Amino acid sequence: MGALGGLAAAVGHLAQPMSLFNVAWATLLGMAVGMLPGLTATLGIALLTTLTFRMAPGDAILILICMYVGAIYGGSRTAILLNIPGTPANAASALDGFPLARAGRAGEAMGLATFGSFFGGLVGTLMLALIAPQLAEFGLRFQSFEFFWLAIFGVVISGRLTAMHDPIKGWIAGFLGLLLAQVGQEGIHAYQRFAYGSVDLAGGLGLLPALVGAFGFAEILCVMKQPAYETVRDMGGRVLPRMRDIAARWWTIGRSGVLGTSMGIIPGVGEDMGAWVSYAAARRASASPETFGQGNTEGLIASETGNNAAVPGAIIPVLTLAVPGSAPAAVLLAAMFIHGVRPGPLIMIENPGFVFEVAAMLFWASVGILALGLVLTKPMLVVLRVSREHLMPIIFVLCVVGSFAIASRVFDVWVMLGFGILGFALRQMNYPMAPLVLGIVLGDILDKNFRRGMVLSDGSLEPFFTRPISAVLASLTIITILWGLAPVCNAIARMLGRPS
Amino acid sequence: MSDTPRADFWFSIAVTVLGVAVVAESLRMPRLENLGVHPMSAPGLTPGLIGLVLAGLGAALFLRTARVQTAATAAPAESEAGGGRRLAISMALCLIYAIVLLGWLPFWLATAVFVFAFVLTFTWQQRAAARLAATAAALAISVAAAVTLLFARFFLVHLP
Repeated sequence: MGALGGLAAAVGHLAQPMSLFNVAWATLLGMAVGMLPGLTATLGIALLTTLTFRMAPGDAILILICMYVGAIYGGSRTAILLNIPGTPANAASALDGFPLARAGRAGEAMGLATFGSFFGGLVGTLMLALIAPQLAEFGLRFQSFEFFWLAIFGVVISGRLTAMHDPIKGWIAGFLGLLLAQVGQEGIHAYQRFAYGSVDLAGGLGLLPALVGAFGFAEILCVMKQPAYETVRDMGGRVLPRMRDIAARWWTIGRSGVLGTSMGIIPGVGEDMGAWVSYAAARRASASPETFGQGNTEGLIASETGNNAAVPGAIIPVLTLAVPGSAPAAVLLAAMFIHGVRPGPLIMIENPGFVFEVAAMLFWASVGILALGLVLTKPMLVVLRVSREHLMPIIFVLCVVGSFAIASRVFDVWVMLGFGILGFALRQMNYPMAPLVLGIVLGDILDKNFRRGMVLSDGSLEPFFTRPISAVLASLTIITILWGLAPVCNAIARMLGRPS
Repeated sequence: MSDTPRADFWFSIAVTVLGVAVVAESLRMPRLENLGVHPMSAPGLTPGLIGLVLAGLGAALFLRTARVQTAATAAPAESEAGGGRRLAISMALCLIYAIVLLGWLPFWLATAVFVFAFVLTFTWQQRAAARLAATAAALAISVAAAVTLLFARFFLVHLP
C-alpha cells in the first residue's frame, strides 16, 4: 500500500496544467522523433537534454521521460505503415503490423499498438513503483567489488544480447565504450589520462556529444546511404479498436508487460529485447503460431506492450543502482546527474519521493501516448511525408547545436563528428551501439570501484569472487561469456544430443 | 558467420593494436608512489585491464576472420555505388558546415547556406530548377531563423 499510495499521490501532484502541457508537447515531439526513420529515442533524449538543462529539474526530467515514452511508441507507426521500424525497439512490430496495413487494416493496427503501448507503460510503471524501493534497499549491500562486477556484467550481457549472432562484436563495442570513458581526468588522483597536453581531452569526452554523434550524425549518414524510403499517402480502417478485442488479449498484455519490464531491468538490453521476448512468448502461447508474421494482432500487441513496458523497466536500475537498462536510459541517467539528482542505492534515503515522481511521469506519458495516439493518428502522418533530403540537414543542425549547448565548447562538436563517423563505421560492420553507450556510462563506475576494491583488499582478487553478491555477478558474467562462445554452445548441444 | 569478413579482418587488427597500445600507455602512467598513494590505485590499472581485454577480443576476431578473409569480394552493386556517392556528399557537406562554415560565418547564415546546399544537392533532378531553388531557400531561411530564435530565446542555450 505504501508504494501504491506514493504512486497515487505523485500522480495527483503532477496533474497541474503546466506539467500536463509539458507532457503533451514532449510526448508529441517524442512520437514524431520515433516515427521518423533514422531518429531514435536516444537521439531525441540527448538533444532535449542539452536544450532543457536550464529548466527546473522536475520539468526537465518530465519532458525527457515523455520524449522517451513517445519515441518508443511513435516508432510503431513507421513499422506498421512502411515496414521500417521507426526505432530499433519496433522491429518486432513490423512483422505483423505491416501485413495488417497491407490488408487494409492499418488504422486498426495503429489502434491496437496504441493500447498495447499504453497498457505496457502502465504495467511497467506499476512494477517500477513496487520493485525500485526494494532494489534500492538491496543495492545498499553493494560495495566496490559488487559495482565492479555490475559494470562488467552490464557490458557483457548487453554485448551478448544485442549481437546474438556475433557476441565478440558486442563485447568489442562495450569495451571500446569503457576505454573511451577513461579519457580525461580520473576521479581518484585527478591524473589526466590519454590527454597528451590537451586541455579539451583532459576534460574528458562528453557523454551527450558522443551520443548525439553515435545516434544522430551516424544515423544521418546511414539514412543518406540507403535508398529513399517511400513516403506515406494514406491509411485505411478504423483507429479505435473494439474494447472486446482488447479485453480478449488481457493475458497477452499482462504477460508482455511483465516480460518487457523484466528485460528492461537487465543493464543495457532495453526495449528491443523487451519486444522480441514478448513477441516470442506470445507466439509460443498461441493456438495458431503459424499466423504470426502474417498479420496476427496478438503478435503486434505483444511486441508493442513489451517495448513500452521495457521503458519503466530500464529506468528501475537507473534509479536504484545508477546503471542504465538501455541506451536511452543511459542518456536519462546523464540528464539526472546534470540536474543535480543523484540516483543510486541511497535514493530511497536521500530522496524517497523521487522514485514515485518518476513513476508518475511515466504514468502521464503513457496517458499522453494513448490520448495523442488515438486523436492525432491521421494528422501525425504528415511527419512521414517529409523526405529525408529535407529532414536530414535539419537534424544535423540540431546535432551541432545540441552538442555545443551543454558546455559551449567547439571541442564537443568535434567529439560529435568523431563519434558520428566511428558509429557509422561500426554500424556498417554490424557492431551494436547499445554496449558502446553502456560502456561509456559505466566506464567511470568500473574504474573507481575496481581501484577502490583493489585498495580495500590490498591487491587481492579474492573478495571479487568470494563475497556472495560478487560471486553471483561473477558467475553470471562467466556464464554469459561461455554462452556466447560457439565451441562451448556446440559442446553443450552435443551433450544434450541436439544438432549444433 | 559474418557479413563483412574483409572489414572485420582489418578492424580486428586495429582493435588488437589499440588494445596493446593502451596496455603500453597504461604501463607508462605514473604509479604516484611519491605521493604515498596505494599502488593498487594507480591511474593506469583500469585502462590496462580494458586494453588487455580489447587486445584479446581483437585477436579472437582476427583468428576467426583470417580464415575467410581471402574469399573473393564481389563488385559493389550499382545501388551500393549510388549509396556511396550520397554518403560521401552528405559527409562532406556536414563536415564543411561544422568545421568551416560555423567558424567563418554567423550561425544563422552558416545554417541557411548549409540547409540550402544540402537540399539543392540531393533534389537537383526532381523538379524544375527555379522551383527547387525557391523551396530550398525557403526551408533554409525558415530553419536558420527558427533554430536561432527558438534555441537562443526559448531554451536560452548558446549557439556555436
